Amino acid sequence: MCVIPERMRFTMEKATVVVIGGGATGVGILRDLSMRGVDTLLVEKCDLVNGASSRYHGLLHSGGRYAVKDQEAAKECIIENQILRKIGKSCVETTGGMFVRLNIDDPDYEEAWVKGCAESGIEAKPITLEEAFRLEPLLSKNVQSAYLVPDAAIDGFRMSWQNVESAKRYGGRSLTYREVIGIEQANGELKGVKVRNTITGEEEIIECEVAINAAGGWAGKVAALAGLEVGVQPDKGTLLAFNQRITNHVVNRLHKSSDGDIFVPHGSITILGTSSMSIPDAEDTSTSRAEVENLLSIGEKTFEHLRDYRMLRAFAGSRPLYIPPGGAVGRSASRGFAIVDHEDDGLKGMFTIVGGKFTTYRLMAEKMADKVCAKLGNTEKCRTAEEPLVPEVSEEAKKAARKYFPAYGTNLAATRLGPERFAKVVKRLEEAPEKRELVCECENVTLAEFEEIAQEETCYQINDIRRRTRVGMGTCQGNFCALRSAGLFAKYGKHERAAETLTRMKEFLQGRWKGIRPVLVGRTLRETQMTRALYELSFHVNGGKKE
Amino acid sequence: MKHADTLVIGSGFAGLMAALVSANQRKKVTLLTCGSGSLSLNSGVIDVLGYDEQHNYVECPRKGIESLPAEHPYSKIGMETVEKAVNFFLDFTRDYGFPYRGSLDHQLLVPTAVGTMKPTCLAPHCLDGTSLHGEEHIVIVGIKGLKDFYGNILQDNLQQSLNGQTKFPVVEVETPLLGGRDITTIDVARWLDTQEGRDSFASQLRPYVQSDNTVFLVPQVLGTKGQECAAYIHEKLGAEVLETTCLPPSVNGLRLQKMLKQALKDMNVEIVENTKVLRAVSDGKKVTGVVAEASIREKTYYADKFILATGGLYSGGITVREFEHPQEMIFDLPVYIESGEENWSNAELFSAKPQGFAKTGVRTDTSLRPVDANNELVYENVYVVGSNLGGYDFCFEHSGNGVALASAYKAALM
Repeated sequence: MCVIPERMRFTMEKATVVVIGGGATGVGILRDLSMRGVDTLLVEKCDLVNGASSRYHGLLHSGGRYAVKDQEAAKECIIENQILRKIGKSCVETTGGMFVRLNIDDPDYEEAWVKGCAESGIEAKPITLEEAFRLEPLLSKNVQSAYLVPDAAIDGFRMSWQNVESAKRYGGRSLTYREVIGIEQANGELKGVKVRNTITGEEEIIECEVAINAAGGWAGKVAALAGLEVGVQPDKGTLLAFNQRITNHVVNRLHKSSDGDIFVPHGSITILGTSSMSIPDAEDTSTSRAEVENLLSIGEKTFEHLRDYRMLRAFAGSRPLYIPPGGAVGRSASRGFAIVDHEDDGLKGMFTIVGGKFTTYRLMAEKMADKVCAKLGNTEKCRTAEEPLVPEVSEEAKKAARKYFPAYGTNLAATRLGPERFAKVVKRLEEAPEKRELVCECENVTLAEFEEIAQEETCYQINDIRRRTRVGMGTCQGNFCALRSAGLFAKYGKHERAAETLTRMKEFLQGRWKGIRPVLVGRTLRETQMTRALYELSFHVNGGKKE
Repeated sequence: MKHADTLVIGSGFAGLMAALVSANQRKKVTLLTCGSGSLSLNSGVIDVLGYDEQHNYVECPRKGIESLPAEHPYSKIGMETVEKAVNFFLDFTRDYGFPYRGSLDHQLLVPTAVGTMKPTCLAPHCLDGTSLHGEEHIVIVGIKGLKDFYGNILQDNLQQSLNGQTKFPVVEVETPLLGGRDITTIDVARWLDTQEGRDSFASQLRPYVQSDNTVFLVPQVLGTKGQECAAYIHEKLGAEVLETTCLPPSVNGLRLQKMLKQALKDMNVEIVENTKVLRAVSDGKKVTGVVAEASIREKTYYADKFILATGGLYSGGITVREFEHPQEMIFDLPVYIESGEENWSNAELFSAKPQGFAKTGVRTDTSLRPVDANNELVYENVYVVGSNLGGYDFCFEHSGNGVALASAYKAALM
């Protein structure tokens, strides 16, 4: 019998740098290093953007939020804000932002804030109340003053995937569903990273010179695998997604940063958040009625009719707050970031990057890549601020596609897909008219797009397709598309059989249920009764005990 | 001033049945509707009781009903009335040419579009798959371009449900409908309303007829009216043709709705559409009228008796704008609600326990008149039917149309 020697398994995957964690920071580093010609591989234990990078407001900060407390962060924000608008056009919705002070908010804070914005280089333009109500008709009449700032909405999923795609063009690689279970070291030097395929259970060692721990809320755990200590406090933020676009702008309360004081419009929804609560484990994304009630009662100060809008779901993510020894926690902790070179702790080649915020992910990646390149003797300069993440879909291509798409869907699909995939999807639509069927009416996803994405190597589960296409994430929250995704995935996906579809369908809906349950009130109740009626009654998926 | 004997609010199954039974009692009936009712969302089969509180399968609905707790709507209605309501419905559907079958003694089994077999009490011939045992020559029929029909899921799961020895083949029928907007079951059903469509459909299936026990399993597309299309194709092919329950729009729900509305017209029921009822006018414990939104000014409808069939949580008859604070939208009736976050819902969407929130609804006396927390009668001439009733989870126990039918029948006779 032939026994494969240990050494052989050691050399299956190899890279100069392994990035641990597929959040915004990780994918940013992957792109930056790849563009500088460094052979880089990213490993992620779930699908990309599974942690805080998608479980947040989707707010591209102007920096106004930090103008009083942390001007360093505010300055970084406004600079990165301008850069991301430029390099990630299809990820950013340029809504603009508004800060409003209510009658219950401290007027002195407004003064400090105006000064802070000026000092941080953020343009905060005062507007009259008439203008504020014209721009945001649903605003409470208790607003005392209003300012416009360059906030915007940003799609965390798309931004991150586009980073990975950009990296790919420079040879950057990524592996999803690979959990790091060990850090290989010898004589104080890093040798590799041991990963487990979370789908097959297979384990392997990826040989590398440098490993970057960009695991966000999980960074402490990853460091511990190498016997290192990193102070990361997962800080849970809960958010509510509403089924309507309640605001046109990102609307912030002009007061000392607190819970539930930012509304961000995205596509056809609005996200309200967030709270701040230290939790022991970043895996905890649970939300409770109390948290929802808290957000609603604060949110309705700014928008009084808030409770009349249907909530789609509640969700939560963990900010990875960096706690230097003896530092502060929660809202008082710094929203800045830190890079730790573990050579100082006796492990050469290992780094941890932690803290920060989505808006400054590119800057964090640049600083991290600078450090790594210095260590590797690579003198290439960072180019991530100049080059767009993906080429844009041309107007001609969109025009040609309009023949086959629902009118509203063309732009959505173009921004979701980018030029190459978009062309492939249009070809599918051209060739087979039945592929024009909408799999998801809420997000305007055609059967052709679903097929194109389903056959991609990185789509292991229905939820992977959901995140890429947004099927199941819109108004119906899976009512109609749970069946469709299960049926289609069974047909086109590589990793699925039809006989498992009932289970998959239930899992899909259960995943949606997790976010719906805490907001089970008002119009959400009706929608839930419909889900249950369809699946329990029309499909009989919850058969009981038979004698 | 117009004055009806009975005023029914709501045009779901409960509202239509309440109007029908009332009219059948020679009453002067007015039906106020707002929206299209929920029949297009459900399969139009009558689930009476499929599972008990412990999620045990109920083979005999009659026995199941007899062991329900006292606060369950069926217990208030009483077995005798449930029985009469079922017979009334069976007679009615037979008289109107779209006969339902079934009884309170045994469940029927209806094939679903995902290949499970759904228990129900009453169903039309074209949905009754009770006799399927897996040894027939079952042919699964898809329609090219039809939305929400996945032959592959049906194939795998149905074989499992019926313990079939061989894989049931899936075939596809072409229609002239392709190339425009998405094709729904209603589009195909309308095509099959035409002679040309029926003949094309039958001739495309004929090659797959193998023996005298061939069964074609089709999406819910066999015509928009009654049973004529199903009967025609059955005769043409000499083979059984069965439909499956599926996502809305439900063609069979619409067939039932169409038939009921026709009957109401035949019985001179006044149907006022697009009328949102805002509030009631009362004199002590007696309601004298309801005020509805109208195009220019509000309009009041007067009657001796009011039947509230506004569909509970599902259709907005009852809302819970804030946690723990339910509201009945017209009469502001007291509403029963499970309190506390832990009782409100289960961690699993589908499980072996009813969902607490689903039991939200109005509590009544045995005449189905609303009572408060102390069992005091609130109004003496208001009757509450269907999903507005509290104390049961129709999705969990499979009892939606059954409670609607029985409560509507009872309310109409009171």
